[in-house]
Amino acid sequence: MINSVRNSVLSIINKNNYGYISPSDFNLFAEQAQMDLFEDYFYLYNSQIVKENKRLSGSGYADITKGLIEVIDSFSVETFLTQVGVANTYNLPVDYYLIDKIFYYSTLLDSGSTDGATTAFKLIDSTASFTSTVSVGSIVVNTTDTTQAYVVAVDSATQLSLSANIMATGENFSIYSNTNIKEVERVTQNKIFRLTNSNLTAPTTSYPAYVLGGATSTLLGNTITVYPSSITGAADIKTQYVRYPRPPKWTYTQLTGGEPLFNPNAADFQDFELPDSDEPMIINKILEYAGLSIRETAVSRFGSAQEAEENKQEN
Amino acid sequence: MAYLTGYQYYENSGTAPQNANWGSYQYVSLEDIVNNFMLMYVGNNELLNNIERYQVLFHAKRAIQELNYDAFKEIKILELDVCNNLRFILPPDYVNYVRISLYKGGMLYPLTENIQTNWASSYLQDNNCKVLFDQDGNVLQAEFSQLDADRIAGTKKSIYLNPSSPYDGRYGWNVDGCWYFDYGVGARFGLNTETANSNPTYKIDKKAGVINFSSGMANQLCIIEYVSDGMENGNDSSVTVNKMFEDYIYAYIKFVILNSKFGVQEYIVNRARKDKSALLRNAKIRLSDIHPGRLLMNLRGQDKWLK
Repeated sequence: MINSVRNSVLSIINKNNYGYISPSDFNLFAEQAQMDLFEDYFYLYNSQIVKENKRLSGSGYADITKGLIEVIDSFSVETFLTQVGVANTYNLPVDYYLIDKIFYYSTLLDSGSTDGATTAFKLIDSTASFTSTVSVGSIVVNTTDTTQAYVVAVDSATQLSLSANIMATGENFSIYSNTNIKEVERVTQNKIFRLTNSNLTAPTTSYPAYVLGGATSTLLGNTITVYPSSITGAADIKTQYVRYPRPPKWTYTQLTGGEPLFNPNAADFQDFELPDSDEPMIINKILEYAGLSIRETAVSRFGSAQEAEENKQEN
Repeated sequence: MAYLTGYQYYENSGTAPQNANWGSYQYVSLEDIVNNFMLMYVGNNELLNNIERYQVLFHAKRAIQELNYDAFKEIKILELDVCNNLRFILPPDYVNYVRISLYKGGMLYPLTENIQTNWASSYLQDNNCKVLFDQDGNVLQAEFSQLDADRIAGTKKSIYLNPSSPYDGRYGWNVDGCWYFDYGVGARFGLNTETANSNPTYKIDKKAGVINFSSGMANQLCIIEYVSDGMENGNDSSVTVNKMFEDYIYAYIKFVILNSKFGVQEYIVNRARKDKSALLRNAKIRLSDIHPGRLLMNLRGQDKWLK
């Protein structure tokens, strides 16, 4: 999509041969445009819910909410969190836009380190006794790099077959039961003190809670603290979050004395991550930024007008 | 709660305790209640949204506590020896008692609560009746008050018709079917039915957490039937509710949250209130154990000839 967006933008602004924007400028505008639209999805989703509750929304093909959820869910990621030290504090992913769920894996079945030769899709620990602790379907977490897989078969007391190739020799692992997983509830900083002191609602391993925080005088906080404080396992906490879209990058091969030629095979190539249906809006947004950049108010105005028209139709 | 196989139910899958799952199908767990409520009643298109799970947990537990006090009829029963100190420490999960009985000679004797007090604290006093203090200004207290000491020693008299009664073993005169004694103030005409019980008596010192008995309970077995609040000593995973009350608990949680939420129309709150009340009534009727067989047994006595 990114090349067709760029071609469209260039063809609109380059009418009189003075409206050229460089690939690096285009990439900056593209990132900004994508981020704008990405955030709009959440506001659109909310206004659509309001419409639904006023019975102004249909079902089937008229179910706009479904489409919005699908787009947002396409940015959904699940990963285990790394622990800060040995306490009940865990690092959040660096690319999260919104933490949706935090899970507590309460039943640790086994843990250890792999040894022997690295074998694809296998976990080998010569000191383990998997036959008595682990069953098919258990969740294996590589606590060295927080990747995860499921146990497909218990080959022997010391070897497991995994659904993904996540283990290399010398890496640490934890194996959890796939049942008894608890959702950890988000609590605000101004409630957590009272919550932990409440007789009826104090966080327990059945109903755990977490607060966001961890800021220092120089750094912004990007950690969660989980309660009860007895939850201290290295890979006990998993998150499902919505990540930021990756910055789009139009990559090219430089031609001597000519136009840069689009190269989608470059290692750092990154297409837009929004659906194709958003292409007109992305173009409009980029035109707004590009119009400002080349001091061409007509382009900017065109982009804004088009965007307003699109929004009107959607609402 | 997942469904159990026969082996899991009867034998707990071969692990101890074997009886862990017996009767469990009558109950729904607190975990299920909170999960189901969050799933079915909370959301963007529901009456409730933007509420925290801990709010639901709190109200669910409050509902369970209230139901445990009367509606559940789930009585706990504990048997303990009452020693020479005539004291029975209340069970750790005690909230209120239903009945206290003496078990003796294979019979259960229901005991009566003494309408008078049978225990007291006592401050130490000097010869001039001035209260004595320690160096920190705290009042010095006796280990036993005279009242307690007499009760434990068995010398305290009782207004009940048990061996501690001042009339026990005394001679009197029967005139026209009424007993008269030449001591005590005034005449005595017939029985005071309130105190006409020959069993030992008790009085509960709630703050101290003990039941104080009259001397007749020394070295006897006491059976206490009591209610708790169903919180299972703080172990959330063990808290359960009879399935008859499942719908009521959902309705109760919905009502209390709507009732305390800002900007909810009154008719919605009222609808939730009526829902809750109707479901509680239904559940109580269902759980009332009115079985035709038992009614029949009682009604068989209706044609008895009275002399």
